[in-house]
Amino acid sequence: MTENADLEALRAEVRRFLEAEKPHDWRDASRTQEDFVKTQRDWFAKLVEAGYAIPHWPAAFPGGGRSLAEQKVIYEELAKADCPRLLLSFVSTYHAFATLHECASDEQRAKYLPRILEGETWCQGFSEPGAGSDLAAIKTKAVRETRGGREVYVVNGQKVWSTMAQFADMCLLLVRTSSDGPKQAGITYLLMDMKSPGVSVSPIHQIQGDEEFAEIFLDNVEIPVEQRVGEEGKGWAVAQATLASERGLTLMELSYRMRGALGRVAKLIREYGREDDQGMLRDFGELVAEVDAVCATADRFLDNRIKGIERIGDASIVKNAYSRALRAYSKLGLRIGGVGEQYVAPITFGDLNTGNWMADFMNSYAWTIAGGSEEVQRNIIAERMLEMPREPKNWVL
Amino acid sequence: MIELNELVDAAQKAFPADKLSSDRDASWQLMAEMGWLMIRVPEEDGGLGLGREASAAIHYEMGRVLTSAPLMPAQLGLQAIMASGTFADRADWIERICGGEYVPLHLLAALLTPTDDGTLNGTISGVFEADMASAVVASLPHGYALIPLDAEGVSIVERPIWDQSRRMFDVVLDGYRPDPALELADVKASPAMHDVLAPEAHIAIAADCLGGASAALDLTVEYMKMRKQFDRPIAMFQALKHRAADMKTRIAVAEALLWNRVHDDDADIIEFGAMKTLAAEAYAFVTEEMIQLHGGIGLTEEHQSHLFMKRAMLNLHLAGEPDLWKERIGREALAAMR
Repeated sequence: MTENADLEALRAEVRRFLEAEKPHDWRDASRTQEDFVKTQRDWFAKLVEAGYAIPHWPAAFPGGGRSLAEQKVIYEELAKADCPRLLLSFVSTYHAFATLHECASDEQRAKYLPRILEGETWCQGFSEPGAGSDLAAIKTKAVRETRGGREVYVVNGQKVWSTMAQFADMCLLLVRTSSDGPKQAGITYLLMDMKSPGVSVSPIHQIQGDEEFAEIFLDNVEIPVEQRVGEEGKGWAVAQATLASERGLTLMELSYRMRGALGRVAKLIREYGREDDQGMLRDFGELVAEVDAVCATADRFLDNRIKGIERIGDASIVKNAYSRALRAYSKLGLRIGGVGEQYVAPITFGDLNTGNWMADFMNSYAWTIAGGSEEVQRNIIAERMLEMPREPKNWVL
Repeated sequence: MIELNELVDAAQKAFPADKLSSDRDASWQLMAEMGWLMIRVPEEDGGLGLGREASAAIHYEMGRVLTSAPLMPAQLGLQAIMASGTFADRADWIERICGGEYVPLHLLAALLTPTDDGTLNGTISGVFEADMASAVVASLPHGYALIPLDAEGVSIVERPIWDQSRRMFDVVLDGYRPDPALELADVKASPAMHDVLAPEAHIAIAADCLGGASAALDLTVEYMKMRKQFDRPIAMFQALKHRAADMKTRIAVAEALLWNRVHDDDADIIEFGAMKTLAAEAYAFVTEEMIQLHGGIGLTEEHQSHLFMKRAMLNLHLAGEPDLWKERIGREALAAMR
């Protein structure tokens, strides 16, 4: 009972803060990527100051030490108030934090965690052209050498689908230090300064005109051995900690935001005079019910996590349910808008439910492909939840 | 206070998963003995005083075993009587029903015409297992009322259905004169009674659907692990296991909405209709896939797949068609988002 009262008190506190401080014009202020980066940095700084940016960090940090239930309240309110999502600082506050907190040395923690709060941006150098769903197949090679009197890894290779790497100061990098034994065994985890000589970044032009991701080329990049997290060859386990860091809050937040954005479809139905079109009302009604159900699913998943009764595969169900609903949402808008939506309109960076339906539709593919594709999630559900047998390994081309 | 998991455990013991649609009358008696007919009756009225979560959990378990006993219409009939503010014999009927007398609510439309002399002609549809009922709770032109099935001008006609797990009847009225003493809600009080019954009906149907869907998925997964083609279990093929994963996802999403609504006292009728529609469509989807994934054996009567599919197809139409609900959801949402 007191727990609920505490949560409601927190909710009221967050609401008061948001009423006073939330940015209203962030969509208009995010028409170029430079402006988007600025609105992101400003909002992150404001949330750090208010104590809502890193609720999942330990209590030693101001604004940290929040329970998952409290984190859920904060994210619910951020979504309901339609604030910008913290995209630019996502990798640093979740992935980099979890890696440093769980696997790094005291020196590494002391060095980097305060810098993240000051707004240092991190990116993830995991995927490669030949290692997507099969991440352990990475080939980027690191050789340990002594150069100029210090021990370094000399790294060569290419990373891809690195979210906002073009703005990043630091990179969580997976490299191969050995090709012997199982492919997971030869992987090492490094922290790379993006300003190191030999690093070049090239943004990926996505089909909707956004540049959310980039490629990172590594040409004889020297990374000091002190920048290694964990032991050499044990990077795969560290990478698991990185990937497990996001605790279902994002999908809950995104689902709530999609529900909040259903009004954009309603507006379109009225604009096109379809309010009494039975077929249209049915399709809209089906979408409303689906989005509502996705919110309930994301909610239930988090509640189960809070209670400690989450099952393997639950997160995959939430992701697939969300990404399919997002596709349906954007496609209904696209359908109602007709050819009008085929005329190019400027995009808004950092939003998935913009009402620019063609852009939203194309953006929705990021959610069925990135972060473990829909098909990989299906494998997880089938093999780990329904305990169906895996396909045989060792197929030779 | 009975714990929910105790209730579920007891249900699974009494109705084991491998016995589908076991004998109706024996099942009914067992349900009465286990107290399920009085599960929602307040303690001061002699019942167990449990909430929606408990009855939904039981309907879910009975959906899993394709129960042939009509617990769902019985609970709804009883709740109509309980909700009546004017019915003089309320306590007596509640006691009789808790003891095993069957008084169902109809789950399809009633098409009735009043005559000038105050009698009624027409058909009340969707009365499950009417052959074992003493009376039916029906929505009449002048309000909700009990109609004894042995009254003059009342007869029952079985309407054979594809669903082999249940029997459905029409109650035909031919010059039936309603007994004022059996009125549960007059014209003015009827909408309020409908508002009480509709969420309960939607929760019960959705729980039946999702229990059935989860049992159908379990059987399908089990079969796919056992059935071998091309020297391997067919569950190994991604093209097939991905379909099983999608079945699981549809069920999980609909279940999340069911339990969300069960605990939501502020949800309106349309939100309950949305929940039921999603559950019924998930059940239909899962059972269609069940047959396809079973291959040839799924087309035979000897296998259980068709029993699930037929129940799912009928459930789609109970308490409002999906098309009707979707249109209402859309209209309502549009108005709310002005």
